[in-house]
Amino acid sequence: MNKVDTMNEYTFTGKSRLVLMIGMGLGLLCLALSFFMDGFDHHPRFWSNLLHNSVFFTGIAFMAVFFISVCITAWAGWYTVFKRVWEAFSQFIIVGLVLMLIIGIGIYADWHHLYHWSDTSLLDPSNTASYDEVLDGKSAFLNPFWYVVIGGLIVAAWVFFAYKLRSLSLDEDVNGGDAEFKHHRKMRFWAAAFLPIAGFSSAAIIWLWVMSVDPHWYSTLFAWYTATSWFVSMLALTILVLVYLKGKGYFANVSAEHFHDLGKFMFAFSIFWTYLWFSQYMLIWYANVGEETIYFKHRIDNYPVMFYGNLIINFLVPFFILMRNDTKRKFGTLVFVSIILIFGHWWDFFLMLKPGILHTAQSTVEGAHHAGFVAGFSLPGLIEIGTMIGFLSLFLFVALTVLSKNTLLAKNDPFLEESLHHHV
Amino acid sequence: MSYKNRSIVYGLYNDETELLSAVKEANKKHLKIMDVFTPFPIHGLDPLLGLEESRLHIGGFIFGSLGTLTAFLGMTWIFTKDWPQIYGGKPHWAVPAFIPITFELTVLFAAIGMVVTYYIINGLGPGVENPYIDPRITDDKFCLAFDIHEVNQAEAEALLNETGAAEVNAKTL
Repeated sequence: MNKVDTMNEYTFTGKSRLVLMIGMGLGLLCLALSFFMDGFDHHPRFWSNLLHNSVFFTGIAFMAVFFISVCITAWAGWYTVFKRVWEAFSQFIIVGLVLMLIIGIGIYADWHHLYHWSDTSLLDPSNTASYDEVLDGKSAFLNPFWYVVIGGLIVAAWVFFAYKLRSLSLDEDVNGGDAEFKHHRKMRFWAAAFLPIAGFSSAAIIWLWVMSVDPHWYSTLFAWYTATSWFVSMLALTILVLVYLKGKGYFANVSAEHFHDLGKFMFAFSIFWTYLWFSQYMLIWYANVGEETIYFKHRIDNYPVMFYGNLIINFLVPFFILMRNDTKRKFGTLVFVSIILIFGHWWDFFLMLKPGILHTAQSTVEGAHHAGFVAGFSLPGLIEIGTMIGFLSLFLFVALTVLSKNTLLAKNDPFLEESLHHHV
Repeated sequence: MSYKNRSIVYGLYNDETELLSAVKEANKKHLKIMDVFTPFPIHGLDPLLGLEESRLHIGGFIFGSLGTLTAFLGMTWIFTKDWPQIYGGKPHWAVPAFIPITFELTVLFAAIGMVVTYYIINGLGPGVENPYIDPRITDDKFCLAFDIHEVNQAEAEALLNETGAAEVNAKTL
């Protein structure tokens, strides 16, 4: 009994802290290097790396609280034994809020030119040489106020729901266990309230943060496709963290059955991602409207490795490896696919953001359009991978710190028994 | 797997937990179980009966791959060799346009192939007569059956009675 009790509290050891600190240090070093190492005005390599990783990891944290809400609303019980991991993930949103506010303030303060629409000289109709009608038409939405204030409010709402659901869940451990399941009823209320908010606000956030780097282009599918990318990454990271913690002796109740279900979700949503990716691509390919096709033409012509690699690592790898029953139940294959998918969806976000940002940066330099290989933009370089490791370490540091502050088993959750006996 | 013309002794249970403990008891006494019939799937029964994982999904993969190849190669042949036409200014070999149909034929081949395989393996299908033990095994009874050529009938009947079967009968299917 004693052994079980000590294993119910995660201790964030000095050694794990040190490893993650080194990772964060590497990330800072890479950010500093990228600040000085590019040939454009306003350090687009540094700012795009910051944006890329902030968006990616904030999205993972958002998906954690979103999926908790989905599970609560759907009366799901299978995930209860490890729901503390998702509650810990979800607390990273507050760090994401700070990071995105820095980028947002940068628009006001002219620290960077990540977004073409932030150039107000394009919106002046009296200046016929540079007037941009499309951007003027979208300027009611694509403007610094929406980016910073409304975007900030949306993420603040996510922070609120992440905090609310976690604190109710923790309070249930201490004061719960009553016959009416008062805590669980409250959680159902907040979870159900969050679902429509999450659905609409995440789409708006994705338009602002990601799609607007190509401000002349738009796609109605884009938000779902990007959100699915976040979701698959969140599942992959959950599997990796759970395998690591199980190796340390925690979460002894998490069995192959739970991993099987996580693996099934990862498999299914990788296919869903491909379905959305292809739906977006095929309609644009078929209709061949110039202002839409340019998005893919630019990427196929100038980023062929990124473009085709994206489909191989995010579709073919999980599809063929996770198709079998047993590969979803074995740690080896599951961990292998999870690592590939985290990297793969980070790669996907790279391809969403970098071409548009490079195009904006190049348009400020005369004659630099499509100037061949550009370090840090055409392909992820060592600096980009180092920055990703830094942000991943920051994410894990925050999540594990949060995790170490509470018990790991939600002992008064009404679905705990179901989860302990989960059998697929 | 047809049970025609086999002489069996069987017990009907009212509850799946009784059935599970009866199966465990039979395994302990090394009585060879012919089969178990239940109105719904029971967790934990498969490993007790020593059933292997179904290989039907391997067939599903092969049928699906056949569908993929049929659709993709078929359309390639039709639109590049047999009857090449230009649609919407696209090339003859317009791969993105082939993907939805390739996907659909993959699903269709896999689904139909697996259903037909399942029917053949289990001896089911139109015009096939299959004996059943008791109509109530599709409703609320759980049946444990032994073949009397494989076990001692008295021993089997004793086991069924001991483990709480509501009815114990013998018949030839």
